[in-house]
Amino acid sequence: MYKAIYLFSEGIKNIWRHKMTALTAIISLSISLYIIGLLFLGEGNTYKILQYFRTKYKIEVFFNQEVGNEEAVGLIHKIKKIKGIRNVTIIEKEDAIRIFKDQFGENIVDVLGYNPLPVSAVVNLERNKKESINVEPIIKSIRNIKQINEIKYQGSLIRKIERNFKKISDRLPIISLSVTIIALLIIYNTIKLSIYSRKESIKTLELIGASRLFVKLPFIIEGVLLGLISVIIVIPSLIITVEAVNYLISNFSTFNITLGTDSSVFFKLILMTVFITFFGSYRASSSFLK
Amino acid sequence: MIEFQNVSYAHNKGYGVSNLNMSIPAGEFAFLIGPTGSGKTTLMRLVYFDLLPDTGQVKVNGYFSNKISKRQIPNARKSIGMVFQDYKLLTDRTLFENISLPLHVLGFKTQEINSRVEEALDLVGLVGKEDHLSFELSGGEQQRACLARAIIKEPDVILADEPTGNLDPVASFELVRLLETINETGTTILMASHNYSLIKGRGKPIYELKDGILRVR
Repeated sequence: MYKAIYLFSEGIKNIWRHKMTALTAIISLSISLYIIGLLFLGEGNTYKILQYFRTKYKIEVFFNQEVGNEEAVGLIHKIKKIKGIRNVTIIEKEDAIRIFKDQFGENIVDVLGYNPLPVSAVVNLERNKKESINVEPIIKSIRNIKQINEIKYQGSLIRKIERNFKKISDRLPIISLSVTIIALLIIYNTIKLSIYSRKESIKTLELIGASRLFVKLPFIIEGVLLGLISVIIVIPSLIITVEAVNYLISNFSTFNITLGTDSSVFFKLILMTVFITFFGSYRASSSFLK
Repeated sequence: MIEFQNVSYAHNKGYGVSNLNMSIPAGEFAFLIGPTGSGKTTLMRLVYFDLLPDTGQVKVNGYFSNKISKRQIPNARKSIGMVFQDYKLLTDRTLFENISLPLHVLGFKTQEINSRVEEALDLVGLVGKEDHLSFELSGGEQQRACLARAIIKEPDVILADEPTGNLDPVASFELVRLLETINETGTTILMASHNYSLIKGRGKPIYELKDGILRVR
């Protein structure tokens, strides 16, 4: 028990004894963990951003002139059944007159003496699909309904967004993994360097009869504590970053995306830090033991 | 007790010790002399199992070099106190922390540690310097601190490898006197030195090591 208390206190004292080394390690660890944290947040928010863009996808379907409101309701039910469609909103002939007036300031019936605007519908696509959406088969299925006169949609824009999302989702795990491995190597080497400067102490401890655990434990405690201090610095930094990005988005864009800081990201970050600092200091101190 | 039976050890570069036979009974004070590079440090390292012989057997306090496992080595060293020419004090710790280190290794309670450190400091004449960092002490003081660290756990054997190597003649003489005092309590001591004038005429057995070969002088 006395030994355990001593070893734990030595771990804490070591940080104080080697203030500059500890400070350098904390800065290096914090930068690495901040980058990892940003990647975690990026992964968590990429899909959210895509979902937001998908809410803006709009397919406008115009029925033939002879299709009345009642018939259009039946056709809309048909459209709703097509795979990949979330909902369909009917725009009746009367709604079309109102929309025209809102956009052009004149009542088209007053100008022409009759209503030339057909019944139409706005089709929204499924937004919760993890994989990219291919809009062409959906358009083809809609076009198969013979009462439809015209379909307007932002084909190239949807394709561009979905293509880019696919690129990002394909590459992000690889980029994340590579950056995480590099960051983890930096963390490991930081811990190793801080121990390297005390390899003579390790040798001395061995010579006076200290067991391997006795030598290693203060270094492990020190390493994990340095990691936890860094995480304590990094978590508020990530929250501030997200808040700042949200502020920038709200000020300079008409978009209304709110990036989230999921608590599981922080939990993952803490867990990973404890693991890598534990493993790093264990390995590093072992490498200097005979 | 320390016993060597036909012990040979060769370093990678070729030098080492060859076919050593030596027996130092419990409670004896023996000197080991020889020029630099004769193998004194190799012999010392064989005693505290930092090296294991290529052939033959080293026996120290019931531990046998050919039977000892890696895990047992720290236990074997718990009954051995070591004094080094370069002191090997931890530079980031105070004198008190350095001297008390072996007691923490053995799991002593704080109260017992405090009283033992006080006694050891008194014995080596370093009372009042407890809070000094090791580099704030003179060479002689650091060597006495190293001795205090070796004796604090009341070991059965003390190995002193060139303890006077960095000391002036007066400090060297005092250190040997101190070791003799400790030996009077029954501690086995093996001290290596290349300063024959310091150890001659003390009535203690002297082992001479030359080119890795041992003989009794």
